[in-house]
Amino acid sequence: MSSQPALLQTSQISKAFGPVVANENVDFEVQPSQIHALLGENGAGKSTLMKVICGLQQPDSGTVYWKGEKCTIGSPKVARAMGIGMVHQHFALFEGLSVTENIAFSIDGAVQGKALENQIIELAERYGLMVEPKRPVFELSAGERQRIEILRALLLNPELLILDEPTSVLTPQEADQLFDTVRKLAANGHGIVFISHKLKEVKALCDFATVLRAGRVVGTFDPREQSTESIAELMLGSRDISTQRQVRHIGDRRLQVRQLSITDHDQTLQVNNMDVHAGEIFGVAGIAGNGQELLYAGLSGEQTTSDHNAIEINGTYAGTLGPNERRELGAMFVPEERLGHAAVPQLDLIDNVLLSNIANKKASNKGIVNRRYLSRKVEEITTLFGVRHAGNKTAARNLSGGNLQKFVVGREIIKQPSVLIINQPTWGVDAVSAMNIREALMSLAGHGSAIIVISQDLDELLEISDRLAVLHHGTLSEARAVHDWNVEQLGLAMTGSTDTPGNAAA
Amino acid sequence: MIQLELRQNTNWWTSLRSILLALLITAAFSVAVLFVMSDRPADAIWQMLSFPWQGRRMEVQFGLVLQQSAYLAVIALGLSVGYRANIWNIGAEGQFAFGSIGAYAAYLLMGSPDSGWAFPALLLAGIIGGCLWAMIPAFLRVTCNTNELLTSLMLVYVASHLLTYLCIGPLKGDPKAGQAETYPIAESVQASKLISGTELHTGLLVLFVAFIILAAILLFTLLGYRLKVAQHTPRAERFAGFSPNNTVWLSFAISGAMAGLAGAVYLTAETGKLIQAENYLENFGFAAIIIAFLGRLHPVGILLAALMISYVNVGASYIQASLQVDDSVAELIEVVALFAFLGCAVLDQYTVKFKRTTTRKVA
Repeated sequence: MSSQPALLQTSQISKAFGPVVANENVDFEVQPSQIHALLGENGAGKSTLMKVICGLQQPDSGTVYWKGEKCTIGSPKVARAMGIGMVHQHFALFEGLSVTENIAFSIDGAVQGKALENQIIELAERYGLMVEPKRPVFELSAGERQRIEILRALLLNPELLILDEPTSVLTPQEADQLFDTVRKLAANGHGIVFISHKLKEVKALCDFATVLRAGRVVGTFDPREQSTESIAELMLGSRDISTQRQVRHIGDRRLQVRQLSITDHDQTLQVNNMDVHAGEIFGVAGIAGNGQELLYAGLSGEQTTSDHNAIEINGTYAGTLGPNERRELGAMFVPEERLGHAAVPQLDLIDNVLLSNIANKKASNKGIVNRRYLSRKVEEITTLFGVRHAGNKTAARNLSGGNLQKFVVGREIIKQPSVLIINQPTWGVDAVSAMNIREALMSLAGHGSAIIVISQDLDELLEISDRLAVLHHGTLSEARAVHDWNVEQLGLAMTGSTDTPGNAAA
Repeated sequence: MIQLELRQNTNWWTSLRSILLALLITAAFSVAVLFVMSDRPADAIWQMLSFPWQGRRMEVQFGLVLQQSAYLAVIALGLSVGYRANIWNIGAEGQFAFGSIGAYAAYLLMGSPDSGWAFPALLLAGIIGGCLWAMIPAFLRVTCNTNELLTSLMLVYVASHLLTYLCIGPLKGDPKAGQAETYPIAESVQASKLISGTELHTGLLVLFVAFIILAAILLFTLLGYRLKVAQHTPRAERFAGFSPNNTVWLSFAISGAMAGLAGAVYLTAETGKLIQAENYLENFGFAAIIIAFLGRLHPVGILLAALMISYVNVGASYIQASLQVDDSVAELIEVVALFAFLGCAVLDQYTVKFKRTTTRKVA
């Protein structure tokens, strides 16, 4: 420890929500100029700790020191005034307003117009956050939007900047730019808290790390001196995270897509040619907002096409069929949004099993819902996939992200679907749950299902897919075997920087 | 500073507490209103609470309460179907009128009103009448994306003018009557009294059975489930394979059918004939909207709310007769109850925290 007091120090912070202990005696310290990684699974207590530091929540016990002085952070306003800034994982920007206007909003209009613009440009140049102040937000990429968020945090002159999973929406190239910015900030004396699930990034960027597990600090170290495996082990406990690649038998064709084009508002989707076979995991890579939603909707039948022959499931044309008719052909679906799409937040788990079982004859008899059958299914899903929950009648919104994701994925997997279409299987899910989900998908493929995984997580796709195609600007490229791609090529294809095969075929 | 914090878990106790609080607020306000509106407030309060045991026979007073609450509960439950799915049919009054018109039309077309099938046929015609009238706003919303709040409300006025037109025009009955009305329907198709001297009749049994059936559908079937899903998240609705447009059709059809049935029963049991709108319609269709929300769109709640509001209504007309207190006091109480119940419903989901604005303290 240095002789000068830490920028921020928490001592013995504890916070419980009812019976759930989110933080237990957490000691956490950030020095000026330090890039400090905060690691842990979802539900390990990272968010709670950050909420305490940002004044969003008050700890049950423990103290926070700011530059060596004891302090109470009563509200986010107080935190901002002290010099604590946070960039959230999800952006809060007005699409229709320009970059400058969005920033003016968040600083309560303290500086406006030309003066603000100049300030933005100056800051942007200093930290390599290239933005055009006059452009409206809806034209901007995720990376650019994030820069706005960082800029508006910086305009308040924070001494401590918290970045919550900043790379989850970025391309590899954009992530590299962000790292440059973060390094410059640290060099200027800012303390940085970097929350991430990606250990590779942490090792490349951070000079200190604190690991939380089940609400407690289980390790503090310099991540550059530790192996990825040992950090992962610390995060997850003594669980094995390496998965063996199985050799799967590729069987007959289960899903065929020919010349599928769908338009929804101003978005378009074009899939010229896509075949998925039994025992195969077909990965769809792409940056968020390039038509993933529409691809999912088109394949699941939430959005139908007038061309009945464009989609064929298990030998039956299905282009004009809705979700339940496609389910009857053996296809099952997991949408991206857990709450509000895959599950109804306010309804209990039993009702949420029914959501994808409307066509299931056992789930209802002559229109009367069979709660006993559904309740048994909840037991099956939760035991099989290790979903932690407080009873079958818990509302879906009371489950943590990882647990709910295991639930909605498990709900489809126990049906042993012939075709499974899953959008962002592990987005925002803790490492252990993510690993469980990936393993379950691989085992399902091993049992002869055809699986389509749409994901923004390249590492994930490279790990589990047999073949991979890239979705860019609503157009799906031709698929290649995974070993025929490399990360660099993929990154370029995802940004549309090269002609990928398939784009030309249109 | 007052803050609302989301509750981690909610249960029957938190709900009960907020309902009791709402009742308390309503009661306190009612007392205050009676103090203003009556020169003998203590008597007014006492008589309003205990009117069934005052003066006339008790079963007559309770009969009045049950009679009114049956209509209100059935229409309110029908409306709650759409409200659960954020579909706002506020035109039950018009669908009620069309139920009556449908039933009367069926009576006119009927060959032999003495048949045992005549009474059920009238009720069926009422259901169809209400249902068809409700299909108009549903059709407009599905095809033209119009706001069903406006269309369903405006159709109330169309329906009530149509009712009056029928009574003064094509279906005009006894010209010596003091109001525009049709000839009465035959005795054989009128609902018969259950207990003589009271307002209880077989029509109310029909309404009760309809209420139970619809309540069971809402609580135990896929249809009820689909409405629950539609209420919270339209995207999950599509995921489940339900078409949002069909939900619109369905909920309008059901609420229209229930209001139409109530209208048919009203014709056969209360009036026996169609009368010009202002003397025929008793605002059941509008009061039912309040009942649906007081009952939190739940069948049991709706039943209790209908009983409570009917009790207040009948009590108010009682003190109007005995103490000359204007019975608009009932409407005031209804509205306050609505605000109190909606306001207190927030406490189900949130706890109120009183906090001093904390500032940075440096030790």
